[in-house]
Amino acid sequence: MRYVSPYDPAVSAPVQPAPRPDALAGRTVALLDISKNRGKEFLDRIEARLRDHGAEVERYAKPLFSRPASGELVERIAGRAELCIEALAD
Amino acid sequence: MPPAANAVAPGFTLPRVGAGSVTLADLLRTGPAAVMFVTEDCPTCELALRRLGAAGADLAVVCEADPAAAARLAQRTGFAGPMLCEPAPYETSRAYGLEAVPTTVAIAADGAVTAAVVGWDAPALSELLGIDLPADPPLRKPGCAAKSTYDAAQLAADAAGSDDDPEAMYELGWTDGLPTIAPTPQRVAAMLAGRDPAHSLGPVPPGMGEATLERVAACAVLAGCRPEHFAIVAAAAEAMLEPAYNLHGQAVTTQPAGQIAVVNGPVRATAGLNAGMGALGPGTRANLTIGRALRLLVSLTGEGMPGRLDRSTLGQAGKVGVCIAEDETRSPWPPLHVEHGFAAGTSVVTMLAGDAPLTISEHRSRTPEALAAALGWAAATLWSPNWFPIGAATLFVICPEHADTLAAGGWSKADVREAIWHAVRRPAGELRHGEFPDRVERAPDAELIPKWDSPADIVLIVAGGEAGRFSAVYGPCVGMDWKPVSLEVRCDT
Repeated sequence: MRYVSPYDPAVSAPVQPAPRPDALAGRTVALLDISKNRGKEFLDRIEARLRDHGAEVERYAKPLFSRPASGELVERIAGRAELCIEALAD
Repeated sequence: MPPAANAVAPGFTLPRVGAGSVTLADLLRTGPAAVMFVTEDCPTCELALRRLGAAGADLAVVCEADPAAAARLAQRTGFAGPMLCEPAPYETSRAYGLEAVPTTVAIAADGAVTAAVVGWDAPALSELLGIDLPADPPLRKPGCAAKSTYDAAQLAADAAGSDDDPEAMYELGWTDGLPTIAPTPQRVAAMLAGRDPAHSLGPVPPGMGEATLERVAACAVLAGCRPEHFAIVAAAAEAMLEPAYNLHGQAVTTQPAGQIAVVNGPVRATAGLNAGMGALGPGTRANLTIGRALRLLVSLTGEGMPGRLDRSTLGQAGKVGVCIAEDETRSPWPPLHVEHGFAAGTSVVTMLAGDAPLTISEHRSRTPEALAAALGWAAATLWSPNWFPIGAATLFVICPEHADTLAAGGWSKADVREAIWHAVRRPAGELRHGEFPDRVERAPDAELIPKWDSPADIVLIVAGGEAGRFSAVYGPCVGMDWKPVSLEVRCDT
């Protein structure tokens, strides 16, 4: 017997994270503030730590935490940065 | 093709339902034997087993299924002879070159095939088995494809559809924790009732699975909906996917936000929705299953399953699904969809986002002013006691007795909203404890901050039983930039 699946097979494949870098020196890291409370303070500390390790840091923000980042923002980050950290604070 | 006459019948050792295992040599020990291959879900196989069992045919049956399914087939058809079973990958069936079931193979005592009959063919089987089958129609009937012919995808789908549907749904994860109805093609087709299964309502957050009508219908079947509920489910699903509703934020938040469907118009009657006693449940199939179908769409098609993409800290029972019908007949006011600009005779579903309901008992207030204040102050701690204003639409379900009191003296819904809004204001200086919005931080101590930004954030509907002064309020999903969305329910598509 066959069932009609409620799932869309096109999106069920798990997404693999990018490989972890060996070192941060000289790398460009994007910090994305999703606009949750105190995300900025969190990312300020992360930025300082990354710079201590020799990383270049670029800051980005999306206007509202509850909506996905726009394709344009994702493309912009992907075009400039090698690594990205999202701030999910509260 | 089944083995030709004089070919050597391939040997086998197969489990026998109820007792050990049987080899071909066992069957041939006392002389020639006949072996009939069947599957559990083939109507022609059932016909053959019933007729041959009744005729006392001497044959062994090999069922392409696990022992439990083979046993059930024997019980269902009354076949009392040896019932062997062969689960996937069906090596014996392959060895016999099986293409269709039923296939009956006669084997001589020396192991040579003497004849084979494919399908239900009463005259041919009478001759092959040496019995006289009655001449009842049908004398001949084609069967089904043997499972040994299935390709990998068919085998996987077949394995998914075990003989125990509710357990199979749990194994597949197609559930919210409660038993679900298996979305068979027949049930989904009945749910769609001629609608285009490939028509897409758009991607469902948070996983962005495409909500084809077929998948929406599968969720409706899983939830237990009847086809007459589907027009509401489809319209509500479309409303949920409107950007203004921001389902994405609701689906992934740590809040306990669920989706609340409010139904107005004639479809309430055709769907069998309950707007009267116990309107918020339980007890009525339409109310419970329509809401559940919408939530399953989020959890399954949208992949917003609790504990995975759904990050709700506690959740709440209403996240299984909420569908409320407004009692338009009992209400003294225009119903919600008319307030939203629809004609009174139009069927409409309005999607809101909210928490579990808070019941408000108020049996003493006899003036609209006192009752509005009581309802409002009961809602004053929604989200958090000092979170003024709450910043989102808040649904009050007003019981008939409360509605009568509020409408006395000619109060409109707008008057009730204004009175609730006006009653629930607190000085900013008293709100600066724990968690409070920036507006409270910035305001002078004496400034009165309202619980709602404006009366328009107070949504009022009437529902519930005649007796009892119990209304309810659904705390909203907060901070998610969502708006209620209303769409017409079209029953003709």
